[in-house]
Amino acid sequence: MSGAVVMPARRRVAWGKRAGLVIGGVIVGAVLLVAILAPWITPHDPFVQNLDNRLSVPFWMEGAKPGHLLGTDGLGRDYLSRLIYGARISMLIGLLTVVTSGLIGTTLGVLGGFFGGKVDDAVLFAITCRLAIPVVLVALAVVGLLGSSLTLVILVLGLLLWDRFAVVARSTTMQVRNLDYVSAAWAAGLSTPAILLKEILPNIASHLAVVATLEMALAILLEAALSFLGLGVPPPLPSWGLMIAEGKDYMFFSPWVIFIPGVALFILVFGINLLGDGLRDLLGAGDTR
Amino acid sequence: MSTATTMVRPQETAATPAIEVRNLRRTFRIKGGLLGKDREVVAVDDVSFSVPTGGVLGVVGESGCGKSTLARVILNLLPPTSGEVLVEGRRLSALDRRARARLIQPIFQDPFSSLNPRRRIKDIVAMPLVAQGNIPARQVNDRVAEMLTRVGLSAEQGERFPAQLSGGQRQRVAIARALVLRPRIVICDEPTSALDVSVQAQILNLLAELRRELNLTYLFISHNLAVVEHVASEVAVMYLGRIVERAEADALFRAPRHPYTRALLASVLTPEPGLGVPDVGLGDTLPDPANIPPGCRFHPRCPVAEPRCAVQVPQAVATTDGAAECLLLEGAAQP
Amino acid sequence: MSAPLLDIQGLRVEFGDTAAVRGASFTVSRGETHCVVGESGCGKSVSALAVMNLLARGARRSADRLVFAGQDLLALPERRMAELRGDRMAMIFQEPMTSLNPAYTVGSQMAEVYTRHRGGSRRAALDRAAGLLAKVGITAPGMRLGQFPHQLSGGLRQRVMIAMALMCDPELLIADEPTTALDVTVQAQILRLLAELQRDLGLAILLITHDLGIVARIAQRVSVMYAGEVVESAPTAALFADPSHPYTRGLLACVPVPGKVKREEALGSIPGVVPRIQPGFEGCAFRDRCAHAAPVCAGPVPRQRGEGAHEFLCRLPPGWTATERAA
Repeated sequence: MSGAVVMPARRRVAWGKRAGLVIGGVIVGAVLLVAILAPWITPHDPFVQNLDNRLSVPFWMEGAKPGHLLGTDGLGRDYLSRLIYGARISMLIGLLTVVTSGLIGTTLGVLGGFFGGKVDDAVLFAITCRLAIPVVLVALAVVGLLGSSLTLVILVLGLLLWDRFAVVARSTTMQVRNLDYVSAAWAAGLSTPAILLKEILPNIASHLAVVATLEMALAILLEAALSFLGLGVPPPLPSWGLMIAEGKDYMFFSPWVIFIPGVALFILVFGINLLGDGLRDLLGAGDTR
Repeated sequence: MSTATTMVRPQETAATPAIEVRNLRRTFRIKGGLLGKDREVVAVDDVSFSVPTGGVLGVVGESGCGKSTLARVILNLLPPTSGEVLVEGRRLSALDRRARARLIQPIFQDPFSSLNPRRRIKDIVAMPLVAQGNIPARQVNDRVAEMLTRVGLSAEQGERFPAQLSGGQRQRVAIARALVLRPRIVICDEPTSALDVSVQAQILNLLAELRRELNLTYLFISHNLAVVEHVASEVAVMYLGRIVERAEADALFRAPRHPYTRALLASVLTPEPGLGVPDVGLGDTLPDPANIPPGCRFHPRCPVAEPRCAVQVPQAVATTDGAAECLLLEGAAQP
Repeated sequence: MSAPLLDIQGLRVEFGDTAAVRGASFTVSRGETHCVVGESGCGKSVSALAVMNLLARGARRSADRLVFAGQDLLALPERRMAELRGDRMAMIFQEPMTSLNPAYTVGSQMAEVYTRHRGGSRRAALDRAAGLLAKVGITAPGMRLGQFPHQLSGGLRQRVMIAMALMCDPELLIADEPTTALDVTVQAQILRLLAELQRDLGLAILLITHDLGIVARIAQRVSVMYAGEVVESAPTAALFADPSHPYTRGLLACVPVPGKVKREEALGSIPGVVPRIQPGFEGCAFRDRCAHAAPVCAGPVPRQRGEGAHEFLCRLPPGWTATERAA
């Protein structure tokens, strides 16, 4: 009966939130598509320099050159092409980091939450240790020590950003573990790994998906920050953070060189967060009876 | 502690009981906070009983009396602190999970939390068969279809998810899942408490039919005495972890011996107008499993308690059809 | 007879395209306990919330008549309604934990109710609270006032809820499944308490329940709801002696009664499920599950009047049960 009382209100709220979900989904989907199709849709090679055509202005300014929709950078490389390839780097780093950290965090969290006791103590200790590590400083130190590369950035971020996965996986597992369907699965003779994979994981997946979006946004921003400091993706790879860094010398005369990748970064992170919020409301509502 | 609750009756000695529980005890530790000491909560305290094949033992008691913990220990969902559970003469703790699943299955109270919301009904029902690991997929499908039909669900409903079914239909799914392996014993933990009256009747009828058809043994846990009276052949009354009275159902309802049983029976509100609400005379002190009173554990609430009840621990006394633990019964006041 | 304290005629509540209550009518007089009984989804709780104007947003309420102590509740602005709630009409819910604020002590919550409606000092309000806690059978009320809701057992919390509802001497108490979450022994105690309070204070009680046992034991009058309608309404004894609507009869047959229903014998049951009722639904909502259904049941259903104040909503004539028994 209470369901009947609450339902109409909930439906209305869900519709408002669904707009965010759709917008976020469209943004992230579009960026992903662009990233995948990069070699086929870029008008120019993003690596080819043309010193005769440096800092050509984008289309909305006077003196824009046809063929360079967003102008060129300080080395005369087509800015639109670099932006598109930069989306590749951002999405790649975002996704791979989330996969790595998601695997680590979810495994730890589920094990801790399910088994409790000593296992849980160990997991909690690991989480506490991880939270005591300053991510940016460690990332800077490691990259500074070993030299920058795409793989290293992904590895470092992946190994550092699993804490939220672990916390969420642990607490949701604890809730689900006590539900009768897990007891029923146990009584039905299912093995522990089967219970974890078939009964627990699918029921905490929605919460993890929300964490994944947040972590992805964070990883993308961190990569941009690292690249900006020259410790992320090595040039000439076109990362958005690196583009901002490279553009900072020209920012007073050609502000659009930082403006364009900055806005791209903002839109992508904004979209991912919208998607995450929308997902949380959608799946959260679906979880309740 | 002597265990007179083990009442082996002549006809039972011949055949092995379907389920036998010996001196079962289960305690929990409750963390005492920053400065407080850890407390020990005795949820099940030295419980022994047996149920013959085809019998239904009703277990009644108030919340916190340990009846659900008892169910979970018997199902091996919780290990006992001490004591053992024998199913058809075999120690449950020595069986592997597959063998255990073939013998004993649960039906839980809340049909909303007892079904995995991310699985289809047919997959939920198939789970015990799949867990056996050696049943061909074809056979699994056949048996699931057969079982769904038997509990009154259509094949089309098998394709749905739990959220698309009503409470009664979900409980039918839970029954199908519990019976698909043809177990010998089913532990029903408040199987109808979350259901509407008319649906409760349907589920009780279904459980009764299935029991006769498959010669099942039930342990039927409920707080509803009217329901227990309807389904059980024997009844055990639990209070703060102990079985304080156990008797044949007819005898228990006709002539309850323990004051607690009497109070429970008195508080049943049958739909008979004009009788008013009974005065159960139990007072306000509610049982706290973390703080079990000395002497007879029921004495603080007992309407007929005497001073000695606060000191002396009652021993079980055999009654005509069972046993009860009360000092006021003749022969209970042994030193 | 004087006018009833609460007079509800033709109450309707709709949520989007679902009709939760469809023209329900009942009255509660001073000193009377009126039970509304039905299964989940029948609209009994929604009716209670509608009287209190506590429906969820998005619900549409309308009625032919909704009068409390001479005041037309339909015309009353929400501000005035809020003054009535907790003062002249109070409500207790199934799960007291959801209606008690976990962050405040029992005492401050009870005092707050009183000072909000009646003013006066907090000291006086606390004294009154302590007195009421004692009245509802709570020992050491002074200590309980300083406790938080989570420190109390379920039975105690429900007593606190009742005491809190009584803070301003309400004339009407609406109790929605007040004992469903409680143990049977505690349930009996709480119901006795309600009956005693009613006798002492002349309260009118509207009690919502699914339990026919509770109805039989404490109600003076019963309304059986099904699919948003009151399908049968009668003085308690008359209803149990001669249940006239097929649904009421079915419901009574479902309840195991110790000593009356034989063990192993199948209980009565009602086939099928409650239909989903949309606005504009025609005919008897029970016809798909009814053994006495006829083609006319798809049309308008007459409200039959039996002896006394016994009414039921069915095509069958009053006294059909007697002729059936005779046949």
